Amino acid sequence: MSFSSELIKGTLKTIVLKLLKDNKKMYGYEITQKVRELTSEKIQLTEGALYPTLHALEAEGLLRTEVEYQGKRMRKYYSLSPSGVRKSQERISELTDFINTLSFLLDLKTGHA
Amino acid sequence: MYLLSDEQIDFILNDIRARGVETESLQQDLLDHVCCIVEQELEENGDFEQFYHTVIRRFYRRELREIEEERALLLTFKNYYAMRKVMIVSGLLTAVTLMVAAVFKIMHWPGAAILLVLGIVQVSLIFLPLLLIFKLREVSAARDKAIFALGTIAGSAYFLSMLFKIMHWPGANIMWVCTLLFSFFVFLPLYFFTGIRKEETRMNTLVSTILLLSVIGTQFALTRIHPPGLEQKNVVVTTVTQPSN
Repeated sequence: MSFSSELIKGTLKTIVLKLLKDNKKMYGYEITQKVRELTSEKIQLTEGALYPTLHALEAEGLLRTEVEYQGKRMRKYYSLSPSGVRKSQERISELTDFINTLSFLLDLKTGHA
Repeated sequence: MYLLSDEQIDFILNDIRARGVETESLQQDLLDHVCCIVEQELEENGDFEQFYHTVIRRFYRRELREIEEERALLLTFKNYYAMRKVMIVSGLLTAVTLMVAAVFKIMHWPGAAILLVLGIVQVSLIFLPLLLIFKLREVSAARDKAIFALGTIAGSAYFLSMLFKIMHWPGANIMWVCTLLFSFFVFLPLYFFTGIRKEETRMNTLVSTILLLSVIGTQFALTRIHPPGLEQKNVVVTTVTQPSN
């Protein structure tokens, strides 16, 4: 089973920032493959969501790109900028906190036990 | 593993362009992505074209240019906070400028005119249009969007015709009358009949409509529209009284 795109949408930026934090530089296809592999195909990023997010993060100054030519085509590697490194930490802590709150909220029995 | 030829890479790039993806960096991202998939998943003697079409189909729901639209949406959202700041600052500046202008005008101090022009241009060409952009994001129905757009036009026209009138610029009267007619016959009915239908907006709509009606009514009463004969009389009076000055 894979998760719905609505669920992934709100966390996509954080997922991308975290992956780039751990892997230094990655290109789009590599990111999708890595996420598939790490989540045993439970999270499958769509190209339609990934590239707009990458471009938005780049426009916000959180990502840097470098281009490498692969024969006739070019491959764009994305990596974190210094402000991206700071932001990724913030986003990860925020999401962790959110997940904890959500698990408490949805699993009331354990919460009140 | 499949090896793509240069012609096949050109074919993919041209197809991505033909499907409406216009931003070059996005074209290159998608091209590399498709090439990676083809190279990884297609067998050495597989049918390239057929495989390409199944692959590209996985990228979108209706058409490929969705990705371009989504990108544009995310990038404009980036400016959201900056735009909101400009809107608030321009609104505050307008209020201050207009109040100072009014004092200057009453006291007949020099500079009143330039302050008035600045204030009104600011409110009608910066503040109101920015407000419209934000409001358009909040609603999804085409009818609501139209109401906001018409309201902004009416508001801007109101301020601009007031400016023309105060500055005695030519065309002020016709602008003024057009604004009032537009507000009364186009904007107000659309606003009223849309808002009155929904339970949650009914009360608000009623109150705002009454207020708007009284404003438009009062403004219209204050507007001097002369029948042609009367206007001639005025001219005569002015010419008669002029020599005595």
